[in-house]
This record gives sequence, C-alpha cells and structure tokens, in this order.
Amino acid sequence: MSDMSDDYDDDYGQGSDDGFGYESYEGSDYGDDGNDGFDDVKPESLKRKPYEIAYEVLSVSDIQKQQDELIEQVSSILGLSNENAMTLLLYFKWNNDRLLEHYTEDPEGVLKKAGVSISDDDKFVYEIKPVEGFFCDICCEDREGLMTFALECDHRFCAECYRQYATQKIVDEGESRNITCAGDCTVVMNDSAIKTLVEPQVYGRYQTLLHRTFVLDNEHLIWCPAPNCEYAVKCDDVSAKDLTSVVPTVTCKCGHRFCFGCGLPDHQPSICALVKKWIKKCEDDSETANWISAHTKECPKCRATIEKNGGCNHMTCRKCKYEFCWICIGNWAEHGTSWYNCSRYDEKSGVDARDSQAKSRASLERYLHYYNRYANHEQSAKLDQDLYVRTEKKMTQLQSTSGMSWIEVQYLAQASAALQECRQTLKWTYAFAFYLERNNDTHIFEDNQQDLELAVEHLSLLFGKPIHELAELKVQVMDRTAYCNKRRENLLSDTAKGLAEGRWKYQVQVK
Amino acid sequence: MYKKPSAKGGTAIRRLMTEYKQLINDGPDGISAGPIDEDNFFEWECLIQGPEDTPFEGGVFPATLTFPKDYPLSPPTMKFTCEMFHPNVYKDGTVCISILHPPGDDPNMYESASERWSPIQSVEKILISVMSMLAEPNDESGANIDACKVWRNDRAEYGRIVKANVRKTLGL
Repeated sequence: MSDMSDDYDDDYGQGSDDGFGYESYEGSDYGDDGNDGFDDVKPESLKRKPYEIAYEVLSVSDIQKQQDELIEQVSSILGLSNENAMTLLLYFKWNNDRLLEHYTEDPEGVLKKAGVSISDDDKFVYEIKPVEGFFCDICCEDREGLMTFALECDHRFCAECYRQYATQKIVDEGESRNITCAGDCTVVMNDSAIKTLVEPQVYGRYQTLLHRTFVLDNEHLIWCPAPNCEYAVKCDDVSAKDLTSVVPTVTCKCGHRFCFGCGLPDHQPSICALVKKWIKKCEDDSETANWISAHTKECPKCRATIEKNGGCNHMTCRKCKYEFCWICIGNWAEHGTSWYNCSRYDEKSGVDARDSQAKSRASLERYLHYYNRYANHEQSAKLDQDLYVRTEKKMTQLQSTSGMSWIEVQYLAQASAALQECRQTLKWTYAFAFYLERNNDTHIFEDNQQDLELAVEHLSLLFGKPIHELAELKVQVMDRTAYCNKRRENLLSDTAKGLAEGRWKYQVQVK
Repeated sequence: MYKKPSAKGGTAIRRLMTEYKQLINDGPDGISAGPIDEDNFFEWECLIQGPEDTPFEGGVFPATLTFPKDYPLSPPTMKFTCEMFHPNVYKDGTVCISILHPPGDDPNMYESASERWSPIQSVEKILISVMSMLAEPNDESGANIDACKVWRNDRAEYGRIVKANVRKTLGL
C-alpha cells in the first residue's frame, strides 16, 4: 500500500517538480522523477514531504478486487457462501468489523434483518425453469411451459415479470443494495440471482452501482470529483477528525488534484474548515464590501452606513438625527456660518470622527486586502493557463527556430505547471492568512508567502517574454522554476508542520 | 441506454380481467370497482364507503381509476369524481398516496421505495389504502394545503366541511 502510493507520488504528485536533472541547482531536492532510469535508487528527497499524505488511486477493477477480498474474508470467517457474505456486507455498508460483532451476538437475527435466507440445501441454485400448474400473480399468465423464477423464499413469478421488476429497480431506481423479492417479503436478491435473471448490460449497471456504494460507504474511499473520471482514491490515514491538523491533498491518475477531506480542488495550505468559511464569506461579502467601501461613509455617531446621493455636505443621519459634515465627518455645529463649505479639517470632532471611522473601516479593508489577492491569483492562474495553451505552440516554434529538440523545450511546460501550482497555493495562503492571529508564527508564514509570491511573479514575467528571447532565457527560466517549486515546498512544509503541532492560532473557531 | 421494460401485449388486459373477477367474487366490504365499459378495461369506476367513526362515515364516494398500458408495471391514477375535502386529495380530486406513485418517482422525497407501487400491488390494495387514508390523513405530504391547515388546527371545522360534502354526495 505504501509502496504503491509512493509510486503515484512519483508519477503524479510532483509532475512539475521533475526539474530535468537539476542536481546542480543549490538546495534543489528535485531531480528524480523516475524518467532518468534511476528508479531503483530512492534518494532522501523522495521521502514523503510533511505536507503530503499516503494514498492510493484505485481503478474500477481494483475496487472490484477489494470488494472480492472483503467478501472472501467474511465468508471464510463465518462459513457462509460468498453470495450470503456479500448480502451481509451490503447490509452493514461494507463495514466488516461491525458485521462480525453483530453476527457473533445474534447470527439468526442478523441474517434475517439483512434479508439472507438460509435454505436447507447447502447451496441454493437460482434457475429459470417451468413449473407445473403455475400461475403468475403479476401478469396472470398460466400458459404451459411458462418460465419462472424465485429466490430462496419461493415467491415464484414468471421470469419475464421478475426480470422487468429487477431491471426497473436497477435502471430506474438505481437500487443495488436492497433489491428485495418481488413478492411481499424481505429476502434480498444477491449478485448471482441478479446475474441469472437480468440482461448482461443491466447486470453491468448493477455492478457499477455496487462499486458506487462500496466507495460511498467507505470513509477511506472517495471518487475523484473530476468530470468523467472513473478512479477512486483510497487514503487510510485520514479521517474526518484529522482535518484540522492536515490538508490531505491527493492527485488522481487523471491528473486532477483535490482535497481528500472535502473534495474541493487543491487548497493547501488552508485547512478544510477555513476554506469553507472563506468561500462562504467571499460569496456573501466581497462585492458588497467593495461597493460599501467605495461609495459610503458611516454616521460618526450611530455607525449607520450612509450613501450620499445628492445635496449639500450638511448631512443629517436618518437614524439618529446627528448632523455632520460629509467632507470632514465632523460635527456640523462647528461649521458655524460657513455653510456648504468645509475648511475645518483640523477641528477636534472631525479628527476624532475620522479616527473611529478609520477603525471600523479597517476590518473591511483588511478583508478586501486578502480577498483581492486571493482573487488576483485565481485570475492569474486562469491567465497562465491560457498562456500554457499558447506555450505549447511556442514550444513547437522554438523547436523549429532555434533547432532545439522536443526534450530541450520541455522546460516551458515545467515552468507553466509550476506557475499553476504555486498560484493555487498562493491563492489559499491568503484565505489562510486572513484567519490567522497576528503573532510571530504568522510573521514567518507571511515571509514565506512573500518569498513565494516574488518568485512566482518573476517567473511569470519571464514566461511571458517573446519567443525569440525565451531560448536565451532557458537557464533563467529553469532556475526560476526550480526556485518557485522550492519556495512552495518550504511554505507548505512549514504550514503542514505547524498544523500537525497545532502551532497556528486562528481568529475564528474551527471544529 | 437501457430499454425501459415494457409489458407484453395483452398482459394488462389479462391482469385487469383477473382482478375484476376476484373483486366480484371475493371483494372486501365497503368497496366496489369495475370497468365503466366492458370494451375498455383501462377505465374503471369505483365506489368507496366512508370508514366508520370518521366524519366520512355514511358517505359513498365515487372515483375513477385510469390504468396505463404497461399496467401492472406502472400504477393507475385515481381521481374522485365527487367533492372531496381531504389533505391528501388534490382539489381536482386526484389522490396523492404513496402506493400510487411509481417507483423511482417520489414527488415529495419522503416515501421509502417499499411503500410505493410494485407489480404485486392490486386494485384491491389501492382501494383499501385509500380507505385508510380517509380515516388517517398524512399531513406531512399535503396535496390540498387548505385541508391540511384545517385538519391540523381546527378538527371540528374539518369534520363539519367533510360532513357537508358527505350529504352532498348522497344528494341530501
């Protein structure tokens, strides 16, 4: 398991880090992605970094295998047939510990509740066969030689009706776990009953549904949320209560990076709880806050937010009837006779009012500070993505104009991937920083953030240069790419360590 | 992607005839049902007696049952043809009850699949369910919101309205 996950880390987790043998770069830990034939030599640098977790990407056949293993395990312990073991597992939502616990207490009760009927013959065989003198209660057919079907409970219907019933359950209702006998009883149709009865493509659908429940019921498994992706990710070490101390980011085989905890796209270094708060806050607040900040002032007395939509500077607050000057926010009475004109910037009441106004606006400004940077990186990441599309063209051009080989122009792809990843990280550092308390640790965090930001902007600048300059800048771009990745790694490692130690103090409550 | 199951020709008619025969020979008390016209087995008329010890007591309520072509895979629809003031009956008389909802189609998202229509249900079971629905309305899934409100807040008024309807159906 851990071996497997390491392999995935190599191939996918650090797609952008494999700096083409950049051993000479000082302090660079990158360099071995397995492409250079030194696969068997695992340097220190390939050990899991503090912000990475062990996980495994499972294909549909892997899921089937795990399912089968679990069934095998339960059937051998309990001495049941595989089908019955499976029905029991389905009833206990694939939780074999709970199953064994309950089963040892009350085997018959559990079997009954799960809809397993143990017949006297050791092995009941599902078959479609004609029965003498049979009358189907569904279609009222009693023709000679009519094919019939029944489960262990012997509620027999004609095969056609039974097939339609099961097909409807599977196809229309998306049911797999709990398809009971077509008559009035609780016996569950198991895998082999379904297989005997329905058409192959419906059986395929049934198996897909089973895989789905297998993944959904297992807290260590999650489907990759990317559209049309059929992989699931398995992560044994992370459970819901750990999500305040770790940001479990995984990369699916399809290339999608996402958080195992909440399914959202990669949001390191912010923990899930903060991400949720931040996204909600942004949806609620950002535009409104922007507008408020730009267009309104507050009544110096009651703090009501006021928009001036015309008239003179003599304001009277609708709410508290306080009269003040729009220009200096001071008490209107002090303006004496100089109506419609404010030249009293230094008057005491005006200064005080502006001070307190400043304070109340500060929290708004603070939020906007973080939001704007967050949004900026999001936007820049999109622009960089567009740029990447053009980069591919550039790479082909470079090959023809400068005579470089395909391998030699890969540095642009690496640079682009690094930009994407770093911007994604930067974006979330702002959401994280917004909730951090001011202290020395936060200072260190912000220093790291600043370093990364500088590195990214510098690389971004180089990246945007015209094609003929890019060839000459190759070494610089490669240096910068490696430097960005290094900065990102430092920042994430430090935050991850902080999370594990509980070093970060937040301004809000996180569960 | 998958063919929706469809009943073989004649299944619906054969099944409806069998049910009709059973209802004539051995129908439960307080219920009668049968096709309006023996040429069209897909339109039935039925009469339900108001359950005892309820405001509906003494009334006889006519309704129509309309069967789909793929009966018994899909359920029939039922509509009262008299005035009906009841939380689970729409103002146009259509009955909203879980046994009449096809599987996979749960308008109110609260019914478990087991309460809903399945091919082994029958006209008889539907009518019995409707009878017990008259006695015990389910105010969690109201079809007639006004009736729901009155039933919940003012039981005496509810009884009065229902009794007035009963008298109307009897032509008094």
